Amino acid sequence: MKALVTGAASGIGKALVERFLDLDMQVVGVDREAVGNKGNLVSIRADLASRHDVDRLVVELKDHGPFDYVVHNAGISATGKFEHIPDEAYRRLLTVNTETPLVMTSALLAAGCIVMDTRIIFISSLSHSTGYPGAAVYGASKDAVAVYAKSLRKSLSKDRIHVMAVFPGPVRTDHAERHAPPGAKAERRMEPGEIAERIVTAARQRKKVLYPGKAANFVRIIGAVMPETTTRFMRLAIYEKLQRSVY
Amino acid sequence: MTERRRPIALITGATSGIGLEMAKRMAVDHQLVLTGRRQAHECAADLPPDAHYIKADLSDPVRSARHLAAKFFSLEPGRLDLLIINAGIGFHTSAGREDVAMVRQTLDVNLVSSIMLVRQFAPLLEASHGKVVFIGSVAHRGAANMPTYAASKAGLAGLARSLKSEWKDRIGVQIIHPGPTRTTMHAKAGYDPGILRKLFFSPEAMADEIVRRIKDDRTHTRISIKARLGRFILRRRP
Repeated sequence: MKALVTGAASGIGKALVERFLDLDMQVVGVDREAVGNKGNLVSIRADLASRHDVDRLVVELKDHGPFDYVVHNAGISATGKFEHIPDEAYRRLLTVNTETPLVMTSALLAAGCIVMDTRIIFISSLSHSTGYPGAAVYGASKDAVAVYAKSLRKSLSKDRIHVMAVFPGPVRTDHAERHAPPGAKAERRMEPGEIAERIVTAARQRKKVLYPGKAANFVRIIGAVMPETTTRFMRLAIYEKLQRSVY
Repeated sequence: MTERRRPIALITGATSGIGLEMAKRMAVDHQLVLTGRRQAHECAADLPPDAHYIKADLSDPVRSARHLAAKFFSLEPGRLDLLIINAGIGFHTSAGREDVAMVRQTLDVNLVSSIMLVRQFAPLLEASHGKVVFIGSVAHRGAANMPTYAASKAGLAGLARSLKSEWKDRIGVQIIHPGPTRTTMHAKAGYDPGILRKLFFSPEAMADEIVRRIKDDRTHTRISIKARLGRFILRRRP
């Protein structure tokens, strides 16, 4: 069995790599940082905000495919008031979070690296249920990924290719630490190892969506029943506590 | 007697389809600034006579948004009441097989450009107590044969939701999701709707409906086939 994980050097990606290796799988890990080659792990360095790098990457991946699991995990954020973040930061964010997973999926399908029984996994965000004042473009990038996954699932189901979207709430990663509002409690965030395990289990069971944990499922329901109240709460919890922009 | 100044509206993608029909309807009571990919002399005859026109190809989002803003400020330096983000493209594919170049272009025109444009005009909209109107699509909840298009429109819907909250009383935010319309988009997207086309809105009817809803000012609204039937029935009431 073989897995491809983007954003493999840290956070959820790193935990996923470890989980797949524990299951005796071969893993290709992609990241801007070095992931390190050991045993069954092959590391490819690529800046997923660069079209040039992505085009080169998909050619290189042809030699490693087909894959049993493809996890589009790499993501970056930009927190702050919408108009305070520069164009270039939004461009990078939209490329890494939205364009690259869509482009890689199209290219890997065309190259025969995604085949019958492959699980394609997109990491969206729990903000898909809430809206995200204070990270409006990050939220938009993750909404796009969620709906892409839903659309793709319908069109690939007859080829028996499985598509799952994951909607994690706060996870205890450096990424969350950098972007969390002041006073946020790190110990309430889910451990990357726990989330990785839930993702792999759900993918094996061919789940369509995964809201990891009770809190995420609760937010999903509240968000569906009271969308405006939920967004208002996000404004209080995030936007009104913003002290600076981070991108 | 002093004439009250007409509100100023900027409409992107206004040289064909729904955008052009909206421009025709709004020309009566708005000073219009229109944008499109065509050369000014090619589309001048189609556009309302006193509308300004700026040529802008949105497939290079950062540059075109800056260019468009600079041109706009040279035409109408003081005010913007309505920013209507209408330009959009879509490609129809079978079985989720999308071409990489099409994926990039669709996201650039529909989503990335929209974000860059809103960024450019937000200060002026705020100073003018204006409003941004996004033209989304009913496909924003998912479309098997146009996954990237659906994704781009979902991104717009998400953006509108968050901005509405961020901007509360500062800048108005509205998103309108049109249903299937008989524009050239389906042909450009490589899709033949066949007999279903008869059920689609005409661009004129869709533009009527959108202009009405912009005045209503509801944050989030879908224009589906039901709205069309509703109008049809109302018109026939004695």
